[in-house]
Amino acid sequence: MASLDSAIAHEKRSIDRKAIIQKFAALAGLVLLVIAFSLTSGAFLTMSNVVTIALQTSTIAFIGIGATVTIITAGIDLSLGSVLALAGVVAAMAAQMGVPVPLAFLIGVATGGVCGVFNGLVITRLKLPPFIATLGMMMIARGVALQITGARPVSGLPSSFGTLGNDSLWRVLTETANGFPKIVFPGIPYPVILMAVLAIIMAVVLRKTPFGRHLYSIGSNEEAARLSGVKITKVKIGAYVLSGLMAGVAGIVLMSRLVTGQPNEGVAYELDAIAAAVIGGTSLAGGVGTISGTIIGAFIIGILRNGLNMNGVSSFTQMIIIGLVIIGTVWIDQLRNRR
Amino acid sequence: MSAVISGQAARIPEGEVADPILKARGVVKRFPGVLALNNIQLELRRGEVHALCGENGAGKSTLMKVVTGQLQPDEGEVTYKGQPVHFDTLQDSEAAGITMIHQELNLVPHLTVAENIFLAREPKKGWFVDRKKMEADAQIFLDRLKVNIKASDLVLSLSVARQQMVEIAKALSLNAEVLIMDEPTSALTESEIDQLFAIIHELKRQGVAIAYISHRLQELGRIVDRVTVMRDGGYVWTKPFDEVTVDDIVAAMVGRSLEQQFPERVSTPTDELIFEVRNLSGVRNCRNVNFTLRRGEILGFAGLMGAGRTETARAIFGADPKTGGEVLLEGEEITIASPVDAIKAGIAYLAEDRKLNGLSVKMTVKENITMANIEAVVRHGLIDKAAEAQAARQSIAKLGIKTPSIDQVVRNLSGGNQQKVVIGKWLFRESRVLFFDEPTRGIDVGAKFAIYQLLDQLASEGIGVVMITSELPEILGMTDRVVVFHEGEVSGILETRKTDQEEIMQYASGVKRMSL
Ligand SMILES: Nc1ncnc2c1ncn2[C@@H]1O[C@H](COP(=O)(O)OP(=O)(O)OP(=O)(O)O)[C@@H](O)[C@H]1O
Ligand SMILES: [Mg+2]
Repeated sequence: MASLDSAIAHEKRSIDRKAIIQKFAALAGLVLLVIAFSLTSGAFLTMSNVVTIALQTSTIAFIGIGATVTIITAGIDLSLGSVLALAGVVAAMAAQMGVPVPLAFLIGVATGGVCGVFNGLVITRLKLPPFIATLGMMMIARGVALQITGARPVSGLPSSFGTLGNDSLWRVLTETANGFPKIVFPGIPYPVILMAVLAIIMAVVLRKTPFGRHLYSIGSNEEAARLSGVKITKVKIGAYVLSGLMAGVAGIVLMSRLVTGQPNEGVAYELDAIAAAVIGGTSLAGGVGTISGTIIGAFIIGILRNGLNMNGVSSFTQMIIIGLVIIGTVWIDQLRNRR
Repeated sequence: MSAVISGQAARIPEGEVADPILKARGVVKRFPGVLALNNIQLELRRGEVHALCGENGAGKSTLMKVVTGQLQPDEGEVTYKGQPVHFDTLQDSEAAGITMIHQELNLVPHLTVAENIFLAREPKKGWFVDRKKMEADAQIFLDRLKVNIKASDLVLSLSVARQQMVEIAKALSLNAEVLIMDEPTSALTESEIDQLFAIIHELKRQGVAIAYISHRLQELGRIVDRVTVMRDGGYVWTKPFDEVTVDDIVAAMVGRSLEQQFPERVSTPTDELIFEVRNLSGVRNCRNVNFTLRRGEILGFAGLMGAGRTETARAIFGADPKTGGEVLLEGEEITIASPVDAIKAGIAYLAEDRKLNGLSVKMTVKENITMANIEAVVRHGLIDKAAEAQAARQSIAKLGIKTPSIDQVVRNLSGGNQQKVVIGKWLFRESRVLFFDEPTRGIDVGAKFAIYQLLDQLASEGIGVVMITSELPEILGMTDRVVVFHEGEVSGILETRKTDQEEIMQYASGVKRMSL
């Protein structure tokens, strides 16, 4: 028995080590990128650029988290980008009509949730494949956003509408001799804080709650989950609602940054979201995926864009490089898992 | 592709000692935390059936995967037809004439039987698949097995047993010189086994070398020439089958001798009814079923494959819709519309096909064990890691699950140990009535005994136990009464003490019928 116990202890260590190495590999890629870009561009590793990267990454992270949740159930949410736009313009229109801004934001996020409920019902009640259901929603949400705004930006918003997207916590300013404010520390933008908070909450939901466990079990083997008493319908609807809410959050943050409601915002963003999840180790076959991985994936995409921009790489070349990165990381991941 | 099995392999005259066609020497295979094979040797001769015996997790499947190139050995060498070989993939070894029928079936459910048999080597007409020829050729192999399967059937419409037969037909079509069968009979009925053995005898006459893995030791005598026993990844011995007894094999497998096959029953049936089913009908193969279950009793469900035992259990459990009838638990009628309702009421159903219905193979041992009862390890809305680990460790100890850790992914466990995880899942939830559908399938002798003891213990605790099994000795050895099914209906309910194998078979085949 003693030898069995020690064997178990040994194995536990080696499994932990394996998990750490896997995380480490993605993180190492991230670090390598940072090193490469700071060598090629002096402006890359400045405080203000770091803040910019975090800000840009937050949008991918929000919808990336949404994508992760649905992909874990072996589903997919193609409506993220459109729902983002709809949620954002609804919030903007509400604010324009005089609804207090915080309430307008809540209405926007809730709009995302409603789209999620619709997706979930179509998938579980009409029993359509998630790909089709959310493809439909992708068009519906975009159409509604264009329709209600007349395809024009929603402007003339109160200035507080821009606070969430443009202000920071702990910004430190000093006054220079000639009276201009000088930024000592740019502070942490609210979207970045929101990203950290939501990532932690969602990581806990996935790892530690029965609901999270059920997401994985549905993705791993839906029939076994059903026969084990998992309420498939409820859990799946829950997954799409979460996804919709995350798109809603991304929508209000983005529109707040622009201080306008842009019905054309977020086209094809769902692909970035799916890419972040996949780079972070989420399996499209379902049952596998983590929030931390997705956040790393989102940063890899965000840093690549930013660094390539700084190096004057054209956006077409950027697309090529990011495409190759997606294929490369997933291939490496599979190699690691093969033996 | 020739459509006849005829001898590509050399024919061996009777009585002549055959030379080894396949040899493995000093094979070592390590997985993280597991020494799966430790200096194993094996020698297969043309025209012999060579049994490979060992407990769950002994390394039998791993050795066969090494031989067929699905896994690469860490040490040791494999020689084939006198030459050292190194197969990189299963396709390489198949091309060389070695075919393996896997323990976990490997068919594509959405394709037809013919498409599965000729997958990746479809007969062509120009650029297109020659469907007619493919189906005709496939049908020839199916007919040889004397199974009533059409080449154009979809695989997903077939039972496990029939899928098994398709795998065998596929192996035949490959004209293998070495055929490896990993537990081919675990899902077959007596008559299907007879057909399989007839085929094995014929292949043997044609000089095919057959490696045969099975936990059904009683059946080995009918086909086997030599036996190799493995224990804990190590080699024990190889002997001609004539020179050993089943008891010798068991003793070598477990390292001690087992006296009996079934434990002494502790539980005794009372007169108190705990569960009753009246006029139950389901959408599939379940018509007008009636039976009762008393406290302390173990009730058996017997019948041929496809008799409706599983369908009845699934209808009761809410896994399939019911069309009529009543279910009474401790005298009160209960409505079950879904597995959620059944589980809430205290009814558990341990599914027969573990890969399809029982397990989430991508998830860990721990996560599978708590899957049906996650609430039990939740504190303040969150899963309590320590409590969950504790629960998993208890199941592992109680059932003797061989796994390097509670965090091992279930896919990496041996077949028998996967089955134990399914049992662990349902034992972790306290139930009032448990349906065990083929609980000992793929499980080794020692572990079977432990499971029998467990069923008995559950019954003695007052829990209703229903055991669905295709093994009549299990019915006779463990149950108090047996419900016999025939074509979706109950054809008889018998007192186990007052019946025998023959009488059960008469009811099962529909020769005899009780008016109930
Ligand atoms: N891919 C893998 N990763 C890690 N461990 C593995 C893997 N495959 C097998 N093992 C381990 O190797 C050991 C031998 O497994 P194997 O499947 O060969 O057993 P077996 O003799 O076929 O058992 P059974 O009768 O239950 O089918 C087991 O302890 C198993 O957990
Ligand atoms: Mg095996």
